Amino acid sequence: MEVIAWSEFIRTALQGSFKSVFQMAVIIIPLMIFLEVAKDMNVLDGMAGWMAPVMRFFRLSQKGAFPLVIGLIFGLAYGAGVIIESVKNGDLTWRDLFLINVFLVLCHSVLEDTALFMAVGANGIIILAGRLILAVLITYILSRWSGVNRLEKIFAGKIMVPHCSHCEKS
Amino acid sequence: MVTFDTFKRGFYKGLSTTWLLSKVVVPIYVAVSLLSFTPLLKQISDFCSPFMKYVGLPGEASLALVVGNVLNIYGALGVMSSLPLNSKEINIMALMLLLSHSLIVESAVAGKCGINPWFVGLSRILLAIIAGIVVNILL
Repeated sequence: MEVIAWSEFIRTALQGSFKSVFQMAVIIIPLMIFLEVAKDMNVLDGMAGWMAPVMRFFRLSQKGAFPLVIGLIFGLAYGAGVIIESVKNGDLTWRDLFLINVFLVLCHSVLEDTALFMAVGANGIIILAGRLILAVLITYILSRWSGVNRLEKIFAGKIMVPHCSHCEKS
Repeated sequence: MVTFDTFKRGFYKGLSTTWLLSKVVVPIYVAVSLLSFTPLLKQISDFCSPFMKYVGLPGEASLALVVGNVLNIYGALGVMSSLPLNSKEINIMALMLLLSHSLIVESAVAGKCGINPWFVGLSRILLAIIAGIVVNILL
């Protein structure tokens, strides 16, 4: 067993932790302010409008469009931040939450991630298309599977999702 | 109507969300960095290297996949750039890493969203392996 370089470890861990918290704050705080302003100006539904076909394709609630786009562009943690906030407001059902998470976990921060691998010589079209197709395919299959709601008992974590009626009807 | 209160509410929500995520990310980040100072990653990658041929990659490429999945993409890129890979191998490795990376931190974040982190992590690894096998045949 090698001896761990403790001072090196502490420096890496501290620097990295500060950097990730700072990065999250720098993106999440302006995002949330933007979201509140958009809500109060009643333009949020209009902005989600162009995502409507996508949301219908996955049979998701329109309120899920914003977290989906944020996660896709900025990254999983930022999408998650918006999701957690939406869940608190009661905007998303467990099914919405599950499907958006499945999609985002496979396909997030697409601009940065793809660019990073292109920089080491990967073909941007192959890797981006491959990732997108897989994420869409798996989310689509799960969205058409009636057992998704039952998964809540098995896979649900710590967030309480308020039950609303609009999804149970459809 | 947009008032000062709108901005205050947004700022507060952003701050509390950042705090919520930090409580998950920071402890795990520290634990994962500790892991990178132990020989464990090397041991996992030695264990995995005989299986790399099924996804069309050389045995030594397993370290990049292990580092990418346990730590993050940046670590994996560092290892990748030290390997002599052809363009097919780079594409396979990039796709596998894009589907499945930073598993510990990202699974914990998904866990905070209400999805079981083990389910998230294991299904991503499985999917990356399937994608690797399929792309190796297709390309």
